[in-house]
Amino acid sequence: MAPASPEQLTHIVDFLRRERRDLSLEDVMVLAERMAATLDETVARVDTLLHDEFKMIVGEIATLRRDIGGLRPDHMRFERIPEAGRELDAVVEATETATVAIMEAAETIMAADASDPEAYKALVDDKMIVVFEACSFQDITGQRIRKVVRTLGWIEERLGQLSQRLKFGEADPLHVHETEEERRQRELILHGPQMKGEGVSQDFVDDVFAMSDQDAIDKLFD
Amino acid sequence: MALDLTMPVLVVDDYKTMIRIIRNLLKQLGFDDVDEASDGTEALGKMKERRYGLVISDWNMEPMTGYELLKHVRADTGLSKTPFIMVTAESKTENVIAAKKAGVNNYIVKPFNAQTLKGKIEAVFSD
Repeated sequence: MAPASPEQLTHIVDFLRRERRDLSLEDVMVLAERMAATLDETVARVDTLLHDEFKMIVGEIATLRRDIGGLRPDHMRFERIPEAGRELDAVVEATETATVAIMEAAETIMAADASDPEAYKALVDDKMIVVFEACSFQDITGQRIRKVVRTLGWIEERLGQLSQRLKFGEADPLHVHETEEERRQRELILHGPQMKGEGVSQDFVDDVFAMSDQDAIDKLFD
Repeated sequence: MALDLTMPVLVVDDYKTMIRIIRNLLKQLGFDDVDEASDGTEALGKMKERRYGLVISDWNMEPMTGYELLKHVRADTGLSKTPFIMVTAESKTENVIAAKKAGVNNYIVKPFNAQTLKGKIEAVFSD
């Protein structure tokens, strides 16, 4: 006999609650057996469903592990990113060294006694050579920056591939957590230098400072 | 307000090279009394110890930015009249407007040249 459905059992229980007549122990046992059989089948169905779900999740995790492994995270974390950081530090150091050398040369020339033209000319020539030498930093810093750009491209490509495979969309901006640093940048209006042609010009700034009418200034925001 | 070349000038920038550049440009313009600070906090401390005739400040510094320094200066009755020029790479419209609203006297976008610095200092003292 096929097990009774939950609805049928409910009807039987309701009937027994209402009537309670001619009810033998055997009837109760039969009913109990039927209910147990029904529950067994329900548990078996849930069990299979859960098993399939878990199997799918395990499969997804294995794929994710494979995809993340493909990113070579250790290579990125311990080699590419620290190396890019060192390259940028070297760029900062080289530009600073060159700037100091050029400024020292300029300051020496500006402070020099020009009353002896021959000695003054010799000094200027010497310092100009220092300036030329210092300018050679540009070649090597250019190469270093290109290496950093290549690393950024490498990271971007791998993250892009991972995002595509995992079907990540853009996160809802309302649910993106703002870091302390981002909050500081927003509140203190810290954008940093703009690319050529993107920031305002000195002429624009001068126009703003020539305006005495606050409404006209506010209109710049419209 | 007349331009007095003997007045002390405070240059605020976290980049030593920029301080050196501005110091040299100011020297060329005839200013000899130039002090320096590496951020807003240090600048504010120096301004409370000495009365400066002009402050030339960068915007993007830590821990206190030039924008915060400007607001502190304008809110302090003893310092509020100090002429203040912002020299910065922050070149978005909102920065310029915010600085003007906060009471900056002039605003120079980096990179700049000696002529621009001279022109802005003269403009501040001709107002």
